[in-house]
Amino acid sequence: MRQGRKRFRRRVRVCRFTVEKINYIDYKDIELLREYTPTNGKILPRRVTGTRPAFQRKLSRAIKRARHMALLPYSGH
Amino acid sequence: MALYELGIIIDPELPPEAETVALERLEKIITDADGSVVEKDARGRRQLAYSINKKNYGVYHFWKFESGGEVMTDLNFELRTSDAVLRSLILNLDRELRRKRKMDAKLQAKAAKKAAKAEAKIEQAEQVEQDAETES
Repeated sequence: MRQGRKRFRRRVRVCRFTVEKINYIDYKDIELLREYTPTNGKILPRRVTGTRPAFQRKLSRAIKRARHMALLPYSGH
Repeated sequence: MALYELGIIIDPELPPEAETVALERLEKIITDADGSVVEKDARGRRQLAYSINKKNYGVYHFWKFESGGEVMTDLNFELRTSDAVLRSLILNLDRELRRKRKMDAKLQAKAAKKAAKAEAKIEQAEQVEQDAETES
């Protein structure tokens, strides 16, 4: 690699929902949703997780529902 | 008639009798409107992710019920006014699962196509083998 350039290898990220063929994201499945909400409680962006747009929309909806039901926090501690 | 999913958080400090009374009242609203509770899932006491009404715990119940849409006014009113219910969420599962069914059908069709293709390939290979045998 050339000098002065940032040495950065892009990790190959795959959309978990496409690979595992999860068609419906349930808001009660907290274990799954936790992977997409770090401790600060925010929803991880697509550019970090590599989730496909259609699933990201479903995911964010499920997370918001889980927050309403106090299964996930709105903000971290 | 549609399939709905109802999630409720009940006040944990309530005596168990009061809890069952509150749940029965909800069920009665559904059954009175010719609906039926299909599935009852009591998850029990669980810590809340944030405090609601200064309470840190909640008793979770998830029901699936079938009914017409008219129940919603009464049900929502009951859920809003009942002191026992801390939070509630009603989802129309028919609407939620419509996309899922569509995708399932798509995936199945894809799998079937793939299987058919593989079968055709095997048949072709056998044909070639047979041809080779007849030639020799």
